[in-house]
Amino acid sequence: MHIPDGFLDTKTAVAAGALAAGALGLALRQARAHLPPRRVPLLGLAAAFVFAAQMVNFPVAGGTSGHLIGAVLAAVLLGPSAAVIVISAVLIVQCLMFADGGISALGANIFNMGIIGGVGGWAIYHVVSRAVKGLFGRVLAAAFAAWCSTVIASVACAGELASSHTVRFSVVLPAMAGIHMLIGVGEALITALVLVAIARARPELLQPDEATQPKRSYGAVVAYGGVIALGLALFVSPLASRWPDGLDKTAEALGFKDKTAAPILPAPIPEYEVPGFHWTTLGTSLAGAVGTIVVFVLAWLLARALVPKGAAGPRGVP
Amino acid sequence: MSAAIEVRALRFRYGEGTEALRGVSFSIAQGECVGLIGPNGAGKSTLLLHLNGLLPESLKGEGSVFVDGSPVTADTLHEVRRKVGLLFQDANDQLFCPTVFEDVAFGPQQLGLSEAAIRERVTQALAQAGIPGFEARAPHHLSVGEKRRVCLAGVLACDPSILVLDEPSSSLDPRGRRELKELLRQIPITKLIATHDLELVVELCSRVIVLDEGRVVAQGPTVEVLSDEELMLRHSLEKPHALRHLHPH
Amino acid sequence: MRDDFLDRYSRLDSPIHRLPPALKLVSAFALVLAVVLLPPSRPVFLAAVAVVLLVVAALSRIPWPALAWRVILLEPFVLGVAILALFQPGGWRLFVILVARSTLCLLTMVLLSNTTPFADLLRVLKAWRMPALLVTTLSLMYRYLFVLVDEAQRMQRARASRTFAPRRRRAWRTMATVISQLFIRSSERAERIYAAMCARGWR
Repeated sequence: MHIPDGFLDTKTAVAAGALAAGALGLALRQARAHLPPRRVPLLGLAAAFVFAAQMVNFPVAGGTSGHLIGAVLAAVLLGPSAAVIVISAVLIVQCLMFADGGISALGANIFNMGIIGGVGGWAIYHVVSRAVKGLFGRVLAAAFAAWCSTVIASVACAGELASSHTVRFSVVLPAMAGIHMLIGVGEALITALVLVAIARARPELLQPDEATQPKRSYGAVVAYGGVIALGLALFVSPLASRWPDGLDKTAEALGFKDKTAAPILPAPIPEYEVPGFHWTTLGTSLAGAVGTIVVFVLAWLLARALVPKGAAGPRGVP
Repeated sequence: MSAAIEVRALRFRYGEGTEALRGVSFSIAQGECVGLIGPNGAGKSTLLLHLNGLLPESLKGEGSVFVDGSPVTADTLHEVRRKVGLLFQDANDQLFCPTVFEDVAFGPQQLGLSEAAIRERVTQALAQAGIPGFEARAPHHLSVGEKRRVCLAGVLACDPSILVLDEPSSSLDPRGRRELKELLRQIPITKLIATHDLELVVELCSRVIVLDEGRVVAQGPTVEVLSDEELMLRHSLEKPHALRHLHPH
Repeated sequence: MRDDFLDRYSRLDSPIHRLPPALKLVSAFALVLAVVLLPPSRPVFLAAVAVVLLVVAALSRIPWPALAWRVILLEPFVLGVAILALFQPGGWRLFVILVARSTLCLLTMVLLSNTTPFADLLRVLKAWRMPALLVTTLSLMYRYLFVLVDEAQRMQRARASRTFAPRRRRAWRTMATVISQLFIRSSERAERIYAAMCARGWR
């Protein structure tokens, strides 16, 4: 999901950058205030860990392989603020050392993968794991959160690309969201498996450690939530509501489309529609809701498979 | 003149587990080079961590460790850490900065020295460790031996009066071992070397302390203790080759 | 494995390598911004930027295949997004422009990272008042990246040498174990690093 340079226009890049900088600043402040000194090196090591973990191959079908993204895993293991710092560090290094992700898109990438992925994912995890107890609950929560945050991040990404008038929302949203619903499944699966493995080997690392997840400052949580909501509002909702016509009109109004260029390839259908479907906002929302419920059920089954009922949990884990 | 290091009846337990140290007592005089040997799990590394106040995690009141005559307490921690240079077993853990210069400069920086003084200390320390000109190198490009030397330089840059080394010759090839031995021989300060390398002990240390199951089971002149074959075997060690043939090396 | 696989060319000697890192970082950023902000109907400018980059590349003495490979490795991501731009009137032209601009920016960043050791970039960021906690995190991350990637590869290799019949489900579980071990070891290593920092007087 790393956006390269040249795909975001100024206003989107700046807006996303501001949001990312704000949230990252908040995360750093939280960490400075609450992270005990002995945990400081863990941030750097966790960032190296996420990077290395992303290189592990999970064979899928016919030679392709999947990889962990790791935002939610980091959030579950380290807490939301630490996860934001860790993921941001990974993205910065990937950008500066490997040109993976554009430098002008760094803000957007941090917003999508760090803030939505890390904090959004953590929030979903927190709510679900509170409701469903035990290791089972945590695995369920983590798997579900991993899928959801992957998909939401991809929606934000689509929104950013569309609001830059680089691609049409009606094209990029199904493409990105669709692909990431699949990727999200892999992410959920790997996150769950890793969590269970850690719980079996060193359960104390999964405990709500006062050191890494300090007394929850609800002010901070609200602030993060505000940042995410603002971002989604800026990049996604205007497009979603006016889609599919609004983008064309906006582009024309801004003089972006070069009216003299004759398309070499006649664009398929000007409004990209799957034949037989009329994408209405209501329809999309319903589909989204149903899909999410289906994923929740799948996550439940996965967690049940990994943490059988009545199996004595590893010592120390309730 | 007070002992460089004195340990009196030191006890330590990790959490709720078994006692790692059960009343360890010994002292090391200024300028001595002493070897600390014993089987795996004897408590050597745990003991060494006490010499820098890294254990126990909360120092309350007077403990059982004394450096240059003063006890190691929460107040004297920083001074103790400066005086006692601790070299960890895994060079990768101790070499944590992106360049050699920054890593060796770490100690002097923490001491609050000026930029010029820091640079001088780094140059000197690197020279002493036998790797002059390594300032710009990146740690992940270095060999095990080179990393060890950088860690040694990093410790020397703090101007310690006592060197405590944990397995300094592990993973080194024969040449690396030889060079390390020469290096240590040339550094005149008090040394305590915890090691499995009994040949190194014979070559460098005048005295030896044998630790097993958290207790000091023997201490004395190197040749005397290490020649006691029965004692050595009883504590999962052995009589070193150097002492099997009684000609001086 | 060789620890420098990610960092092989940043310490060569060339006129470009010798430039101050702050200058290189600012120039790279400025170049990217210029390419990105320019209205799309000026291919002449893009060509000029391309020439500049190729000259820099030539001066930097980085082997051409290596440079080309690095750019090619990342090109699929550019193409993947750019393809979506085809689905609109004027799509082809937009596609070409997007790919051209993005590739130029890619080349810029690849040149930057291969002529400047990351430690130097970090020092510049620190001088530009990047928050200390973030700098420490980036510093430690860079330092231990290679160590961890190496550990991960070793574990994968050890797994491979004991796998006689590839079964996907087993493979996923083992990979998850590898990752979990990686985290546990990183956690323990972080503790040891903390001890090492304290031993040298960290406050």
